[in-house]
Formats: sequence, C-alpha cells, structure tokens
Amino acid sequence: MTNISLEAPEVVRGQPYPGAPDNWKRFFTFSTDHKVIGIQYIVTSFFFFLIGGTLSMIMRGELITPDADLVDRTVYNALFTMHGSIMLFMWTFPVLVGLGNYLVPLMIGARDMAFPRLNAVSFWMVPVVGVLMLASFLVPGGPSQSGWWAYPPVSIQNPTGNLLNGQVLWILAVAISGVSSIMGAVNFVTTIFRMRTPGMTWFRTPAFVWSVLGAQLIQLYGLPALTGGAVMLLLDITIGTSFFAPERGGNPILYQHFFWFYSHPAVYVMILPVFGMFSEILPVHARKPLFGYRVIAASSILITVVSGLVWVHHMFASATPSWMRILFMVTSMLVAIPSGIKVFGWVATIWGGKIRFTTPMLFALGGISNWLFAGITGIFLASVPIDIHVNNTYFVVGHFHYVLYGAIVMGIYAGIYHWFPKMTGRMYYEGLGKLHFALTYLGTALTFLPMHPAGLMGMPRRVASYDLEFAYWNVLASLGGFLLGLSTLPFILNMVSSWIRGEKVGNNPWRAYGLEWLTSSPPTVENFEELPLVVSGPYGYGRNQPLVGNTPNPGLTEFPESLTAMQSDEL
Amino acid sequence: MTAERVISQDVEATVRQHQEHDAAGNSKFGFIVFLLSESVIFLSFFTGYIVYKTTNPDWYPPGVTGLETREPLINTLVLVSSSFVIYVAERYLHDKKLWGFRIFLLATMAMGGYFLLGQAVEWSSLPFGFKDGLFGGMFYLLTGFHGLHVLTGILLQTLMLGRSFISGNYDNGFFGVEATSLFWHFVDVIWIVLYTLIYVWQ
Amino acid sequence: MSKLRAILIMTVYAILVTLASIWMAKQSYSWFPPEASAESKLLDDLFSLFTGLGTFIYLGVIGPFLYSLVFHRARKYDMSDGPPIEGNTWLEIVWTAVPLVLVLTLSFVSYRTYEKMAVRGPMELVHLHLPQIIQPAYAAPFDSTPQQEIENAVETAPIEEIDVTAKQWAWVFHYPKQDITSTELHLPVNRRVRFTLRSEDVLHGFYIPAFRLKQDVVPNHEIDFELTPVKTGTYRLRDSMFSGTYFAANQADVVVQPFNEYQQWLADAAAASPTPAFNQAAFEYSQANDQEGATKDNVVVRGWDTIPPASPPVVNYAPKHEPDSPPT
Repeated sequence: MTNISLEAPEVVRGQPYPGAPDNWKRFFTFSTDHKVIGIQYIVTSFFFFLIGGTLSMIMRGELITPDADLVDRTVYNALFTMHGSIMLFMWTFPVLVGLGNYLVPLMIGARDMAFPRLNAVSFWMVPVVGVLMLASFLVPGGPSQSGWWAYPPVSIQNPTGNLLNGQVLWILAVAISGVSSIMGAVNFVTTIFRMRTPGMTWFRTPAFVWSVLGAQLIQLYGLPALTGGAVMLLLDITIGTSFFAPERGGNPILYQHFFWFYSHPAVYVMILPVFGMFSEILPVHARKPLFGYRVIAASSILITVVSGLVWVHHMFASATPSWMRILFMVTSMLVAIPSGIKVFGWVATIWGGKIRFTTPMLFALGGISNWLFAGITGIFLASVPIDIHVNNTYFVVGHFHYVLYGAIVMGIYAGIYHWFPKMTGRMYYEGLGKLHFALTYLGTALTFLPMHPAGLMGMPRRVASYDLEFAYWNVLASLGGFLLGLSTLPFILNMVSSWIRGEKVGNNPWRAYGLEWLTSSPPTVENFEELPLVVSGPYGYGRNQPLVGNTPNPGLTEFPESLTAMQSDEL
Repeated sequence: MTAERVISQDVEATVRQHQEHDAAGNSKFGFIVFLLSESVIFLSFFTGYIVYKTTNPDWYPPGVTGLETREPLINTLVLVSSSFVIYVAERYLHDKKLWGFRIFLLATMAMGGYFLLGQAVEWSSLPFGFKDGLFGGMFYLLTGFHGLHVLTGILLQTLMLGRSFISGNYDNGFFGVEATSLFWHFVDVIWIVLYTLIYVWQ
Repeated sequence: MSKLRAILIMTVYAILVTLASIWMAKQSYSWFPPEASAESKLLDDLFSLFTGLGTFIYLGVIGPFLYSLVFHRARKYDMSDGPPIEGNTWLEIVWTAVPLVLVLTLSFVSYRTYEKMAVRGPMELVHLHLPQIIQPAYAAPFDSTPQQEIENAVETAPIEEIDVTAKQWAWVFHYPKQDITSTELHLPVNRRVRFTLRSEDVLHGFYIPAFRLKQDVVPNHEIDFELTPVKTGTYRLRDSMFSGTYFAANQADVVVQPFNEYQQWLADAAAASPTPAFNQAAFEYSQANDQEGATKDNVVVRGWDTIPPASPPVVNYAPKHEPDSPPT
C-alpha cells in the first residue's frame, strides 16, 4: 500500500502575511491564523479573569464583616458592577470564543475560519473593551455603579452631571463587545455550516462543534436585542430621551425585557461550549464513545431554542403579571430536559469505561458534579413561589456562581489542560494540575455553598453591609474566595513553565480520536497537509474504525497508535 | 483499497477546490446571517414601539394628534421602487453591461437620496423633538436608525460605483454588488414595516 | 449471581437515597427565618418538596457517577479501550421523559401554591374582596392550615390597607384610615393586609424574608400586594432591588402584634406630632459630607459622588434608634 504514490494536491502554505513572525511575537501581531487568535483570546481574557477576581476578593474582604467598613458604599457598588461586567464580557465570553476559535476549524478539518481577517478584528476589539472598562475607574464619579444589569432608573441617575461618566463608558464597552461578538458569531456559524471537511456530515461533527454552533446562534438572535436596549439607555443618559425614565413617562420594566431577552440566553452561550468540552474530554479519558452522541448534539440546539423563551424568570418579582409568571415558569423548567439528557449521557459515558484521573478529566468530572447541583437549584429558581422568596438574594448569587465558576470555569480549565499539548506540543505538570484542581474544587464549595443558606435566610445580593445574622456564612464565603484567588497560582505556574520547558509529547498524547489530534502539535499554519476525508463518526473508542480515509494521515507523518493498527487492517 | 484511496483523494481535491474558491459563497452566507441578526435590533425597537403605544393611550406630545401621511407615502413609494431599480442594475452587471449597471445604480442612489431629503424635510417641519415624550423618542429613534441604514446603503452604492471603473474588478465575481443590493432590499423591507407601524397604525 | 448482587446494591442505595431525601426535606424547614405569615408556610412546604426531590435526583445521579469513578478506573498499563457502547434508545427515552413529567409536575404544584398565596399579580389592580382562588375546590396537597388561615383572615375582618412609599433610601408607611405615617411597619396578626406600593424615584424591592414575599416597587406604577401575618414578633423589611449607593442600609422593622396592641399603637401614633425619623442613609451621607476633613474616615477606601439621600422622613411614629436586628 505504500508504493502507490499519488500527487497530493499542492497546497499553498505559509504565513498569514509575508514576514509574519513565527515565534512568541506573533501573538502580538494582527495575525489572521485562527490558532494565534485563539490563544490571544485565551491569554487576554485570563488576564482580565485575574483583574475580575481581584475585584471580587476586595468585595469578599468588605463582606467578611457586617458593616461597610473596608470600602465606601459607592466603591463597593462599583466593585460588584465591574466584577460582573469584567468576568462576563472580558473573561467568560472571550475565553470560550478563544477555545472555539482554536478548536472548531481543527475539529471540522478546515484550514481556518471562514473570515480570518474579520476574526482578527473581532479579537482586537476585546482589549479595547477592557481598556474602556478599566478607564472608567479614572473618570470623575467612578465606574458604573448600577450592577451589570444597568437597570434604569438607577443607571440613568448621574450624580456628577458629566456627559463622560462611568455608565456611558460601560455602555460603550458593552456595545463594542457586542459588535465583536456578533462578528465572531457570523464567522463561527459560516465556518461550521460551510467549511466542514468532506465526509464530515452533521452527525459526524464533534459535540463541541454542535455546542459552539448552538451558542453562537444565541449570540445572533439575542445580542441585537440587548444592543437595542443599550442604545435607548444611552440616549436616555446622554440626550435625555424618556424611554426608560419614569419621571419623563418612560417604562423601566421594558429595559429589563430587552436585557434579559439576551442576558439569560447568554448564560447558555457560556455553558454550551463547556458542555461541548465535557462531551469531548470524557470519552478520551474514559476510553469509551460518548453515550447518546446524537441526542447530546441535538440537545445543544434544543437549548438554543428553549433559552430564547425563558427570560422573564428573572423578572418574577418585577411588575410581571401572573400569567407571564406561570408561562415562563413552565418554559424555564423545560430547560432541565436537554440539560438532563447531557448529564445522564455523561454518566453513562464513563460507566464501565477505563477512567484515568488526568487533570482535564478531574476538572471535567468536578465541573459536571457542580453543574448537577447548580442545575437542581436552578429548578428551584424557576418555581414562581420559591423565586419570589429567593430572587435577588444570595441564593441566586450562589446558584449562578455554581454555574459560572463550578461548571463553566472548571470546564474552561479542563479544556485548557486537555488541549494544552495540542496548542504547545508540550505536557503540563500533572502534580501542579491536581493541586490546582483540589484548590479550585474546595474553594468553589467553600465560597459558593454558604451563599445558599444566607440567601434562604433573606440576605439580599449587592449589599455592602448586612445584618449580624448572616455573618457566619459570609466569613466562610470570604475565606473560600481567598482560597479561589490562591488556586490560580499553581495554574499560572504550570502553564508558564510547561509552555517554556514542559516535556515534548508528540501529536496525540491522549491517544484521542478527533481531527485535531491527527495534525502536528502545535498545528502548522493552515492545520493540515491535505484536507482530511472523514469516513466515520467521532468517538470511535474500542471500535477499530479509522476516522479518516487519507493515507498517510492528513496531518503529518506520525500516526496515533490506536489508529495505526486498525488502519493497516483496513487497507 | 487502492480504489478507495483514489476516490477519496479525488473527492477531496474537488471539494477543496470548491471550498477554497468559494470564499464569495461564504461571504454571502455570512452576510445573510449578519442581516438576519441586524433585523433583530429593528425587531426590538418595533416591539418597544408597540409596547409603548399600547400601554400609553395618550403618548403624543401635547398638541400633536398624529402624523401627516401623504409626503411620507411618496417617500415610501420612491424607496420601495428603488429596490427594483437596483435589481435591474444587478441584472445589467450579470450581462456584463457595465454602463447600464452604472446608470441604474446611480438612479438607485438618487432615489435613496430623495428619500433621505424627504425625511429631513419632514423632520424639520415636525412640532416635536427627540426629547418630547415617548412618541417623540420612538419616532426619531426608528426613523433615525433606519435613515442611518439608508445612508450606509448609499455609501456602499457609491463605493460599488467607484469600483466599477477599476478594470478587472469583477474577475472574481461581484459579491460586493450582491451584498449592497441585498442590504438595500433589507432596508426597504424594514421601512415597509416601519411605515405601517408609525404612519398607517395611528 | 452478579445480577442479583447488582439488584441488591441498587435497592439498598435507592432506599438510602429515599431516606436521605426525606431527611433533607424535613431539614429544609430549618434553613428559613421564622414562618411569620400564612404564605410562608405554603412556601416552606413547596420548598421542602423541591428539596426532597432535588436531593433524590442529586444522589441518584452522583451515586452511579462516584461508583463508576471508583470501580471503573483503568489499570496502570491497560491501554485498551472500554466497550464501544454508543447509546441505548430506551434509556435515552426514559431519561428524557422522566424529567419532563417531573418538571411539569413541579410546575403544576408551584402554580397551585402560587394561587393559594393569592399575593395578587402586580398588574391586576382590580380590587376583589375575596381572592377567588381560595375555594375548597382546590384540595391542598400539603397541610391546609395556612390556606385556612388566609381564608379566616379574609372572612373575619376587613382587609387592613397600608400605603408603602419607597425612596432613596427610606421606607415610609402611611395608614390611610387614621392618616398617620411611620418608618416602622406595624401589622395586626391574623388579618389580611393589603399594601399599595409606590416608589418616588427608582426601582426598589419590598421584601420581608420572614413572610417569604417580595415585590419590586416600580415608579409611576401602583402595585397592590397582599399577605397575612400569623405570628407576632419583630422582623426585617429589606430593599431587595438594587437602588443605588445606600441600598444595603434601606431597611425597616416590621412589628406584627395582636390586634388590640396594634389599635393602641395606631391611636398613640395619631396623637403624636410628626418628627423626623432616624435615617441611616441620610446619617451616613451627612457624616461623609458635613464635617470638614473628617470625610468618610470610617472607611479605608474613599468613594465617589452619590445621589444625595432624601431627607429623613417626617412621621408620626419614628423608632428612636436604628432598626433592631431580627431575632436569630
């Protein structure tokens, strides 16, 4: 079989533009390589994760005592506003776009995203957003202090009277972030629809790609609604129109509809790719196919649809009529079904497998267990009477931090560890990784579990001071918060030192199925020598089937062990 | 096995050929996705308009009872017919008749310009401003945001007109013109909804 | 043999999980403040049901999950793959259908609880004298006492009407019949109370944790809100919707007292002449801005400009001190 030599189609390969640097400097250029952009996204957003985390630790410092004695109340309000905004717009969204950017073209066998230059422009807006957010600390009157919801009328109130104030900068930052996200979404959707390699039918497409598609479709239908609301809010603040200003006849509740129509589905924009990563990581480290792959893949799209119909559950205590409360209670509860399908599928995937507790596997398993808990408290919150008691309390804060930190951040860590050898060609240090996992898991529980009882007792969220009865839970949560801060240190140490001098491990250290593992580590520009021709579905563990029809494999010369044997059988 | 490989490479080569030369197809797909997304902004403004109108029985500024519909109707007719004009321009381009394309594109631009002018005249004659209550705010928001899109459309058309004088501009297809035309139809459809909401439903 | 063992393990585990769920459901009552209103009992029952089911689902999933993690580990040099099981249609149908039935049931139970609370939808401004929902036709899945209490309260006495005004950052309670104002909310026990909620500036949240009830207060929008206190004592009213700088300090005490004491309090208050009440926000603001040099020296990090608080409300009855902390 080796003596047949067919001329491979000649590939024009090279740098994105002539003279582009091929070393670390490329990460500081306007590179159009999706892999460079992916890493740019991940590293930039991690930097802002540290900033957002610092803000949260100052907040936990304030809350370790009942009185408002560490920072002024206005400062506290600015802290939680900017903590939320930075964590969402500068960390969770961009880091997941980064992972998607890196992985989607590799997983579907494309050479790049559909619009590489647009991709680069989308990325370079992110630092601009970050600078605007941080700059708002320096303007007179300080940054926005109305929470990341920016609910009017509080967000319209402007104590300094300046046109250039924290709230206006905040809206500008969110608007730029929105433009960047829409451009990114157009890019992802086009790439996934049109750039899948020959043979990669929809039901051969990895679950991660499905979940990214689901998430990006939400961006496309949801973000414009928020943009509409933000434009009206900006006009209210600057020009003095009356859309949401009650003293001028406006309706502040309408803003809440605009806001949540996007911002609830936005949670699924963040959790869906993480679900996708769980679905990729579990089969690799349990050596079993993803259980119920088709249903898990399709349930991502189901979530995309249902998530557009649930937003009013954030407004059960607003002036919402009863029929709306009941209707949206039912739709919100329905989200449990696609989520449940995924969780059950994951448990069945590891069941009877050959599980190895690598760091990515630990983070994925930890993330799933946290998600299970957060999903159940989510059903509590969907129930109208329960929500009437606990909404806007620390119960909600505990719930969504279990989602965001417990499931999403842990999932992001899982993804970074899992694909670290692919991105760098080197292996991270397992010991540091496990230490990181232990600290993160304990820190999450210690920080966010105590928030639930505090909320049930009636502690409102966003308070700078609170009654003595809540002190116990808050001290625990503060200690946990500092532990979480500490937990990032082994991660940073691990990433930096492994990238510089970690052990070189070849192209497929996990013996994983998937197109991204067929190419070199790190993949060359344009990813594949020749485009792979996919001949079977993903997750072929234990099945003795080749994934691609090309020989030699489309990446480089090295075969993954598990594929070599079966391919020589086959051919 | 050899046959399989040959076929696979064959298929692969064709599809890759197709893929790498179908950048224009990608662009068109992406542009349509973008327009669908953009329409949601308008949709949210329309929703806002409907909510305000139905929940506030007297939302006109004092002294205002309704809007004059005659001039806006003429404006509407001009804008809507310009959609057909730009279609004709596109047909000429398909047939490689560049001058026909340029003339009809210019006509589209003139009609768009007329629409904007009519809009400006209407704005200046109205007795209320942006800050006059919910109706004033909504009216100027909707017409203004749409007007910005019309302006963008005209600028795109200007660009396309200019580029038509570059020789060899259409060697790789004319996605730019298609997108401009698509955008113009989009702006028209939005206007029809907008006109119905603001002027017809009073 | 191994099949029998599996069935045995599963049965034992199911029993344990059920017991744990029942225990948690009972335990859940202790996670709340005192049950000071009839509505709070309804809520606590519902919450207990959710807690029991939630525990059952959590343990039901986490058990097999942990079992698998313990017993299905790869041996050190075992490079082989697990069995290539890709799915099981029946299993997938079951775990789609069961949650569906479950959440629909939970929705229905929640709906009935909500109806029984009869807190009034905020946009339903029509004043009905007897909440229609309180009818024997709705058999209670739980203890029917709270429902009975609401019904008794509605039947035995006229509904007490109280106007509530929220502003940045104070609560003012106005008793229209006696035309008196207070910054402390006094309520008669076992009587239905109807609040009319108003805001003077921004959104606020009317939230009394001991009553388990909450309603946002929207400017330009009168909202009716009803509840039935059933336990005397002092509780805390908190602003639950973020309302700006002194949001956290925007609290008031709620005193539920026997009807005669309540009447007495009303009479005393009517006799008193209006005086400015203590207001935490105004106090802190004046501390921060009045004294030269002493600006905000009570905090480590200084702040930015704020919307000035409304001046302390002038009311007939003002507690002489800061609000009491509720009993812990």
